[in-house]
Amino acid sequence: MANSNLPRRIIKETQRLLSEPAPGISASPSEDNMRYFNVMILGPTQSPYEGGVFKLELFLPEEYPMAAPKVRFLTKIYHPNIDKLGRICLDILKDKWSPALQIRTVLLSIQALLSAPNPDDPLSENIAKHWKTNEAEAVETAKEWTRLYASGA
Amino acid sequence: MESEDDFDMQDANESADDDFYSGGEDDAVAGAYTMDSDDADVADYEFIDNDSDDSDDLASHRHQQNYTVLSEADIRQRQEDDITRISTVLSISKVAAAILLRYYKWSVSKVHDEWFADEEKVRKAVGLLEKPVIKFPDGREMTCGICFDSYTCDRLHAATCGHPFCDSCWAGYIGTAINDGPGCLMLRCPDPSCAAAVGQDMMNELASDEDKEKHSRYFVRSYVEDNRKTKWCPAPGCDYAVDFIVGSGSYDVTCRCSYGFCWNCTEEAHRPVDCSTVAKWILKNSAESENMNWILANSKPCPKCKRPIEKNQGCMHITCTPPCKFEFCWLCLGAWSDHGERTGGFYACNRYETAKQEGVYDEAEKRREMAKNSLERYTHYYERWATNQSSRQKALADLQQMQTVHLEKLSDIQCQPESQLKFITEAWLQIVECRRVLKWTYAYGFYLPEHEHAKRQFFEYLQGEAESGLERLHQCAEKELQVYLNAEGPSKDFNEFRTKLAGLTSVTRNYFENLVRALENGLSDVDAHGACSRTGSSKTLGGASSKGRGGRSKGSTSRSSVPNRNTDDSGHWSCEYCTFANIKIATVCAMCQQRR
Repeated sequence: MANSNLPRRIIKETQRLLSEPAPGISASPSEDNMRYFNVMILGPTQSPYEGGVFKLELFLPEEYPMAAPKVRFLTKIYHPNIDKLGRICLDILKDKWSPALQIRTVLLSIQALLSAPNPDDPLSENIAKHWKTNEAEAVETAKEWTRLYASGA
Repeated sequence: MESEDDFDMQDANESADDDFYSGGEDDAVAGAYTMDSDDADVADYEFIDNDSDDSDDLASHRHQQNYTVLSEADIRQRQEDDITRISTVLSISKVAAAILLRYYKWSVSKVHDEWFADEEKVRKAVGLLEKPVIKFPDGREMTCGICFDSYTCDRLHAATCGHPFCDSCWAGYIGTAINDGPGCLMLRCPDPSCAAAVGQDMMNELASDEDKEKHSRYFVRSYVEDNRKTKWCPAPGCDYAVDFIVGSGSYDVTCRCSYGFCWNCTEEAHRPVDCSTVAKWILKNSAESENMNWILANSKPCPKCKRPIEKNQGCMHITCTPPCKFEFCWLCLGAWSDHGERTGGFYACNRYETAKQEGVYDEAEKRREMAKNSLERYTHYYERWATNQSSRQKALADLQQMQTVHLEKLSDIQCQPESQLKFITEAWLQIVECRRVLKWTYAYGFYLPEHEHAKRQFFEYLQGEAESGLERLHQCAEKELQVYLNAEGPSKDFNEFRTKLAGLTSVTRNYFENLVRALENGLSDVDAHGACSRTGSSKTLGGASSKGRGGRSKGSTSRSSVPNRNTDDSGHWSCEYCTFANIKIATVCAMCQQRR
C-alpha cells in the first residue's frame, strides 16, 4: 500500500494539522491515500469571500518536501489569482517553494491570498482586468459567486 | 588554368583575363598592397620567408590577437585566479568570493566597485551574512526543519545563518536544486525567511558525488555564460570558450577546434560582411530557399515563354496558359506536335527516356533558363554562396585526408620529413579560408545597392579576380600535387612545386586580406574618386586597363601609391609579376623567373 512508506515528516504534519488546526482551515488526509488531503478554507472576514466555505484538494508528490505540494480550488471562486480550473498563482507553490515550508504554511498563504487579491500578477486575465478597472464591481461579483457556490450548503 | 606552367608569367601575360597575378606594371596584386601601404612592407617581409615554416607566425603578427581560446582547464584556472584575487582583496573566504563574483557576473571590477561603495548592501543582496542570525545548537538534540526528526548537532548543518537542517535533508535540498539547473549556483538557506547563500563548501560536504559533478559543470559554465567577455565556441561538440577583448576590431575568431566564427553573433565567421547583413541573409535563405526549392522541384518553365508551370494533375500533354498556349510534353519539354504513338503516347515519352540516358537534360542549364522572374537575382547569389560553402566543406575534408593519409605517403615518396610538408597544409587552410570569404562576398554582392554601378563593377572585378586566384591555388594544391603523390620516388622538381605552392598561398592570402579590407571599408575607394573617373594610376587594384579591361577597373585606386615600391628599405625587390620579394642581388625572380 502506498501509505506504508510514508515519510515521518508527512505523518507528523498530518498529526499536527488534525490536533492543532489553523483557524479557519481544516485539512484531513484521504483514507486510501495519505498524501491526498481534503481541505476547507473559510472565507476571511472583511473579504468578498466572507461567509464562504471553499473546498480544495492538496496532494503531496513523491518528492515532497523537496517539491511543493499541489493545491487546487474545487469550489468555484472569483479571484484574479485563481483560474476557472481552480489553479492558484502563488509563488511558494512554484519557484519560491522551500522544504522548510509546510502544508500549514501553504494553506495559510492561500487564506491570505483571499484577503489580498493581487491583480498585478494575474492567473485569470479577465478577472484581473475587471479588478483593476472597476474594483467595486469585481468585489460584488466575488461576493455573488461566494453566495452562489460557496455557501456551504 | 590547366597546365603547371600557368605560374610562368610569360604565358600568363597572354591570357591576362583569368590571371590576376600578372599584368605587368598594372599588377593587380601589387595594387592590392598599395591599398594599405602600411602593410605593404610587412607583406613583403613575409614573402622572404616563403620557404621556411614560420611564415604563418609572421602573418599572425600582422593582426594583433584580440581573443584567447580557453580550454576547460584554462577557464577553471582563470576562475580560480579571480576568486583568489577577490578573496585576498576583500579579506573574505574563497567560498564567499565565489558567490560574490557569480552574483556580479564574474566582473572583478564590478565586485570591487560595489563592495567598496556599500559593503552592507552587497552582503544583504548576495546573502553573505557576517554573523549567524541564530546560534547553531551545540551539544543538544535539535529537530530538523525539513524532516522533523531529531538529530544531535554533529548530524546537522547550517549555512552562515545558523538555521539547522539534517545532512540528508540538505543533500535532498541541494540535489533538487542542482537537478533543477544552473539556479543551484544561487542557492539560499531553506528557511523561507532567510537569504543566506549556500556556498561551495556545503555542496562539497553534503551533495552526492554525481550532484557535485553537475554543480561543478554549472559553476564553470557560469564563468563563460554569465561573463560578458567570454562565449563558448558554437561548433558541435567543442568544449573551448573564446575570451574576446570587446571593442578591439574584427569579431572573427578561430577556435582551437579550427572552427571559425563571429564572436559577436556566433554565426560562422563572415568577414567581410557585417553581422546584421548575415542575419538578414540567413533569414532570407531560410524563407526564400524554401520558396525557390519548391519552384525548382515542382515547376518547369514553359519551353517557349519561360514562365514556370506547376503540373498539378493529368497527362504529360501541357498547354501553356494564354497568350502563349504552347503545347508541349512535360517530360522532354519538346513540342507536342512531335509526339504520338511512336514516342510513347500520353503517359510516357521515349524521347525523354533516351535523352535522359544520354545526359541531354542538364539541370543547371534548365535552372538558368528558368530565371526569368524576381528570384533570378537572388538565385544567382544564393547558388554561388552555397557552392562556395560546399566547396569549402569539400576542401575541409580534403585537408583532413591530406593530414591523416597523404602527407605521410608524400613524405615517404619524396623523402621529405613531414615538417617540410607544412606548406601543403597551409595551402589547404588558405583554400578553406578563401572559400569562406568568397562565399560571403556573394551575400555582400546581393546587398550591394543596384544603382551604385561603379561600386558594383569594382566589386565584381575584385570578386572575379579573387575567384580565379583561388581556383589557381586550389588547382595547384589538388591536381598538381597528385603528380608527386603518384610518383615512384623523389621528384626532381619537388622543390619547385614547393616554391610555387607556397608562393600561391601567400599571394592568395594577401589578395584576400586586401579584398576583405576593401569590402569592409564599403569600397570607399570608389567614393573617393567619383563613380566613373578613369584613374591614371597604374598601381591600382583593378588597374589592368591596358589589358582591354578598362571598363571593369574604373574607379579603383589606392589611397597612397608608393613610388618605386619595387624596392623596400631592406633592399629587397618585389617582382612586378608575382610580387615575390627577391633578395637584392637577384636579377631574376626566384618565384616566376621573370627578369627584374
